[in-house]
Amino acid sequence: MTKRDINICVNGKWYELAVEPYETLLDILRNRLGLTGTKSGCAKGECGACTVNIDGKAILSCLTLAVQVDGKEILTIEGLPKGAELHPLQESFVKHSAVQCGYCTPGMIMNAKALLNHNSNPSEKEVRKTLSSNLCRCTGYERPVKAILDAARIMRGKDER
Amino acid sequence: MKDRLSVVGKSVRRIDAVDKVTGQAKYGTDLKVDNMLYARLLRSPYPHARVIKIDTTRAENHPRIRAIATIDEVPKVVGYWWNLRSEKATKKMYLQDNVVRFRGDPVLAVAADDEESAQEALSLIDVEYEELPALFDPIEAMKEDHVKIHEGGNIAFHVVKRFGDVDQGLKQADYVIENRFVTSKQKHASIEPIGTAIADYDRSGRLTVYTSTQLPHWSRIYLAGALGLPVNRVRVIKPYTGGAFGGRCGLIHGLEVMCSFLSRKTGRAVKISFSREEDFEATEARHPFIIELKTGVTKDGILVANSIKLFLDVGGYGTHYIGVLADALSTGVGLYRCPNVTFEGFCVYTNKSLNGAFRGYGNPQMNFAQESQMDMIAEKLAMDPVEFRVKNYRGLGEIDPVFDVPIRSDGMKECLTKGAKKFGWNKKRTRKLAEGTKKRGVGVSCLQHGTGARFGLPDPASAIVMLNADGSVNLVTAAADDGQGNRTVLAQIAAEELSMPFEQISVSDTDTDVAPLDGGTHGSRQTYCGGLAVKRAAADAKMALLRFASQHLDVEEENLEIKDGVVYHVKDRSTNIRVGDLMRKIQIEDLSRCEQIIGHASGVAPAMPPTFGAHFAEVEVDMETGEVHVVKLVGAFDVGKAINPANVEGQIIGGEAMGIGYALTEGLIIDNGKIVNNNFTDYRILRACDVPQIDAIIVESNEPTGPFGAKGVGEATMVGTAAAIANAIYDAIGVRMKELCITQEKILEAIDRGTRASGL
Repeated sequence: MTKRDINICVNGKWYELAVEPYETLLDILRNRLGLTGTKSGCAKGECGACTVNIDGKAILSCLTLAVQVDGKEILTIEGLPKGAELHPLQESFVKHSAVQCGYCTPGMIMNAKALLNHNSNPSEKEVRKTLSSNLCRCTGYERPVKAILDAARIMRGKDER
Repeated sequence: MKDRLSVVGKSVRRIDAVDKVTGQAKYGTDLKVDNMLYARLLRSPYPHARVIKIDTTRAENHPRIRAIATIDEVPKVVGYWWNLRSEKATKKMYLQDNVVRFRGDPVLAVAADDEESAQEALSLIDVEYEELPALFDPIEAMKEDHVKIHEGGNIAFHVVKRFGDVDQGLKQADYVIENRFVTSKQKHASIEPIGTAIADYDRSGRLTVYTSTQLPHWSRIYLAGALGLPVNRVRVIKPYTGGAFGGRCGLIHGLEVMCSFLSRKTGRAVKISFSREEDFEATEARHPFIIELKTGVTKDGILVANSIKLFLDVGGYGTHYIGVLADALSTGVGLYRCPNVTFEGFCVYTNKSLNGAFRGYGNPQMNFAQESQMDMIAEKLAMDPVEFRVKNYRGLGEIDPVFDVPIRSDGMKECLTKGAKKFGWNKKRTRKLAEGTKKRGVGVSCLQHGTGARFGLPDPASAIVMLNADGSVNLVTAAADDGQGNRTVLAQIAAEELSMPFEQISVSDTDTDVAPLDGGTHGSRQTYCGGLAVKRAAADAKMALLRFASQHLDVEEENLEIKDGVVYHVKDRSTNIRVGDLMRKIQIEDLSRCEQIIGHASGVAPAMPPTFGAHFAEVEVDMETGEVHVVKLVGAFDVGKAINPANVEGQIIGGEAMGIGYALTEGLIIDNGKIVNNNFTDYRILRACDVPQIDAIIVESNEPTGPFGAKGVGEATMVGTAAAIANAIYDAIGVRMKELCITQEKILEAIDRGTRASGL
């Protein structure tokens, strides 16, 4: 099989890569770019640990081939903070003790980020529905849901200012 | 106990949270070592077979293959730290033969330059097997003489314990209730798959293993034994761990030992990562139990006899079965006051994937049976199930006959009464809701779960507390944190004991080269056992600190106190010195001294205090589809003292969610030795939309032997969930569900049975 050249923008930085047709975005992020914050839990689109944002939408990077994202803008958990300042979602997860083992956390946060991109004031039910694509075995989801609702509230406040 | 606590009892931010929300936390799956090889396992396609011949010629010619390690040369670890108690038992921990005992049992491993080549090489290896007859049913395996799964036969362990005289007890009974219960094979399903390790055997004969083990020190000893190395030549480093729940309670079958052998052969670091399917099919799961109970009770509601018979399905290899059985014993005999009890347990090998430790050990299984049984008894007596439990549980000052020690802290009654109130028990019980095809019901269960493992097992904990020249503190501990947050809790305990700000405590990595002996993270033991060690080490450091402060300030030690990192004269607060200033003086400035204060402690906890708890469940059952919807859960737990309430609540809600799964959806389905539901689509753990309202209630009974009154919590939180839900289902549909997990199909069958039985 021949490699294909792609250009992708990850966390604001453009990369030119020669990729195998079978390589997934998850492989590229973790193995080529060293961005291991995006996790692999099942490699078949069931657990949501590999969720990243492409053009502002949540996608499963384990089910996305690298060649499919040529020219796209990708945001991973590493790209969320502004310098030393955590993103409100990250800050909220810390504040609400919404993190236990933490393996599902980056995927949850990226999924929540995409939700808040198009719905700044989601209901608890909407948050639960969105978060249902992220499996978590530790928290029972209670605190992550609270953390997302609180982060949304804080982000709305900031927008108003 | 102190009158005023500064950081214990506060939901401080977890010390690992920022690393985790930013993606900086490195888990086993994220680690790489320079010049590392990747290995994959070839697994048996048969449930029971002898490996006759392995032909690796074709694979060896592959340009990127570096080494192969086979079943003939690599020992299996088939025991746990119970075996370490004697040399003879330790030898029994290692099994080296050419028999595979379940589908997925490793036959060999191939190390290659990259994962794809390792995978490719597996198809170039020819293995010749002699297929052996396989046994899947433990009852059948017990009776079978001709097929031996292990040399000693198929019964791995058999025990009978007698307390009083059951036959006499049954004669006094007004009612005798007899039932048989069956439980499922639940999988841990941590989101980071179980089964990643890197072994790095260097040329000087030192082995470093990175593995997400709950037991860094015991794993180090197991590995030293398997490789014939002195313990000090093995270093186990535990990276961040994506959930464990008992699934990483020792070495993983076919992982670290295989990896280490390959590394020794090649002189290079070797990494193995199991896939999710391998995690489901070939790593330990929860022991399925068959439980037979015969219980006698008087019409006044006094338990007079209980006969308990258990059959544990061990799977192809045994590890934790003795401990798992002991936990069932603890619930069967310890939870309720009953003078006459017989407990008989059989642990039986079958040709299925192995079973081991899982949150609650044998307690969720036993609790499901016993708490269903107690519900039936209460109904027979026309007693409120809560009242029946309050009347019969073994409480404060009573002797637990299993451990033969008195109970020193008891919040059971408070758990039951507070839980009932929060749940609205009395109101919900009498108000029978039904709408269309849906019927509602409520149920309760209670539980106890011992903290730690000191009765019967080595159970050490150690800590080192080092004060630095600026007054900051390094806490060194091997207490593995799998996500519960025990590193944060231990830092809180150190800060409290030292009267230092929490922010000044830094906790070491989990590395057996630097952190002293620890029995591991299991048995809900780290807050209690680990906490006691940290508290003692901190007290040791504090004593030295006050001695130096006394010399420096020229004030008697008893007139000194520390607050927020400053040592004060208790009566004259203008006489003071910052701990940092004092440390700098004695460590650096005073050239005749140059001494660091190092507090340390090592030893076993004085007790194994039971955590008490109660679950209340409300369910809605659709009589037409058999679908069960859990409407509400309340979990009340007596944790002695919540060192970090947010962490405790996190354990309660997470444990209840896992318990709902155990009750309703979770169980590996095995067909002819093949695990059918080896993925998250077919093996259903709860998703965010499935979790009902769960109210967590923390009860604090102040355990006198615990650090600041604390005892364990992690496991207890799911012990009784299944029973409470099963009892609620009975309340709703009028038919008793005695087999986990309670699927829609089983409910429909039961409704059908119930309808026919009532002649409708």
